[in-house]
Amino acid sequence: MTELSLPLVLAVTARTLAVCGTALVVALVAGLPIGIWLGRRRFRGRVLGVSLVNSGMGAPPVVVGLLVSMLFWRSGPLGFLEWMYSPRAMVIAQVVIALPLVIGITLAAVGALDEDWELQARTLGIPRGRRLWLLLREIRLGVLAAVIAALGSILSEVGAVLAVGGNLEGETRVLTTSILMYTQMGQFELALALAAVLLGLTLVVAGALTVLQQGGRA
Amino acid sequence: MSGAILAARDLVVRRTSRSGSFELRVDSLDLEAGSVLAVLGPNGAGKSTLLRTLAGLESPSTGRVERRAQGPVTLVFQRPIAFAGNVAHNVDVALSGGNLSREQRRERVADALAHFDIAPLAARNAHTLSGGELRRLALARAFALRPAVWLLDEPFDDLDPAGQESLSLDLRRAIAGTNAAVAVVTHDRRRALLLSDRIAVLLAGRLAQQGAREEVLARPASVAVARLVGMENLVGGELVRSGAGDAGAFLVVDAQHRIPVGSEAVGDRAGGKWLAGIRPERLKVDVGRGEGVPIGKAVVRTVVSDGVAATVGVEWAGRELRTYLLAGRGLARSLAPGDSVTLSVRPEDVHLLAP
Repeated sequence: MTELSLPLVLAVTARTLAVCGTALVVALVAGLPIGIWLGRRRFRGRVLGVSLVNSGMGAPPVVVGLLVSMLFWRSGPLGFLEWMYSPRAMVIAQVVIALPLVIGITLAAVGALDEDWELQARTLGIPRGRRLWLLLREIRLGVLAAVIAALGSILSEVGAVLAVGGNLEGETRVLTTSILMYTQMGQFELALALAAVLLGLTLVVAGALTVLQQGGRA
Repeated sequence: MSGAILAARDLVVRRTSRSGSFELRVDSLDLEAGSVLAVLGPNGAGKSTLLRTLAGLESPSTGRVERRAQGPVTLVFQRPIAFAGNVAHNVDVALSGGNLSREQRRERVADALAHFDIAPLAARNAHTLSGGELRRLALARAFALRPAVWLLDEPFDDLDPAGQESLSLDLRRAIAGTNAAVAVVTHDRRRALLLSDRIAVLLAGRLAQQGAREEVLARPASVAVARLVGMENLVGGELVRSGAGDAGAFLVVDAQHRIPVGSEAVGDRAGGKWLAGIRPERLKVDVGRGEGVPIGKAVVRTVVSDGVAATVGVEWAGRELRTYLLAGRGLARSLAPGDSVTLSVRPEDVHLLAP
């Protein structure tokens, strides 16, 4: 019988935020440019790329967990890194889940812009870096929607982090894996308490982002 | 030409789209400082493609665009696009490429907004502007750059007549205050003529004619160009010399009707079949002032007035001709369908075209 102590809850919550936050940042850094590129350029194979992204948006986390596990398994191609059952592997699995969401929502937002948007910015002599900033500002509603969707899905998924992290206490145990574990152990009070924390976290994060997204709108 | 600050040479731009392939071919076109070139042409003639290529936004398949400009080359799109943010920010962001101080930028923005009469909108969200306001913003944004070359794609599109009128006045003022080379693409001939001193005519991807405004208006190179620049009266006939010692000639339309043709136009063309082109404003309803050579009686068919000018349709030699009169005065007031009038034209106002 495990006691639920405040330090334990805080530690699990902090680890959850660290893993999800890192995965979100990586997914944004990689996904925004790819989304902008896919949304603005017309090239052969683009439709294939977009359909891959679209199907990735609905990929089951547990399957992602399986594939990433195979990658980092001792005998797998990246087994030598010894990342299996570490937070790094969890971050990577969550990036795989979040990336298609970031790319998909970004490319939809970019695609809704006038097709001459970039030419307009170029012909005004606006430098490249500033153009990117203007573009992000233009699609900020979409970017924030991507953040909400990505963070929501990785905060709440359990299949991938369990498969690649293994729910090791003090190392890879996060909110969702704890809840699952306590539920399986029949310790519903603990499971419920952590579930409340997770739900609260989701609400606070989504709420804050929504305020940010809708800020400045009537 | 030496004054060219943007020059297109042996330009070929090929585009393939779902609707088929298109080729724009321009051997030589110059934009000169302090001059406004109107690019006229029907829809699909390649006007926008030409402008985009001149702006460096599209690459030619062959040939080149030479920039000799000491300053920005900028294009104002047919569909103006606002950036997220307010109106002042939209203008300011265009200045982010230069190395102006914050204070200089503020002045430029205020000046540009004032030039296009949208200073009161400075704090408005640009995405909430009306079509006309957005157009003014797009022009102010380009103007703030102090462009050396200013390319305008259909700047009067989608505006009501009053909006077109006031915008063309503001635009004229803005252009007059700079030494920029301006090219304005439009299918609205009258607006283009208000702004320009040179004309280029684009037909089906080919530069059919370019030159000084009066030259192109008075001497279009072909029937298609003539129609496009408003030389509406085209009459066919045989060119016959006036007589010994006279370099002039007549275009004989039928037994009763002939049109005098100036010696300059005749050259060595006498004897063949030609079209006489006469601009409506050059065809006169003779009121005995002795303007030009009388070409015979005509019957008034229609008189349509917009309050400023009256367009009079007359039947002459079995065909409809057109002439303009100032509305609300003298003749325009008294003329009515069915009236008989005498037409006259000065020989030098008659332009010969190959049929």
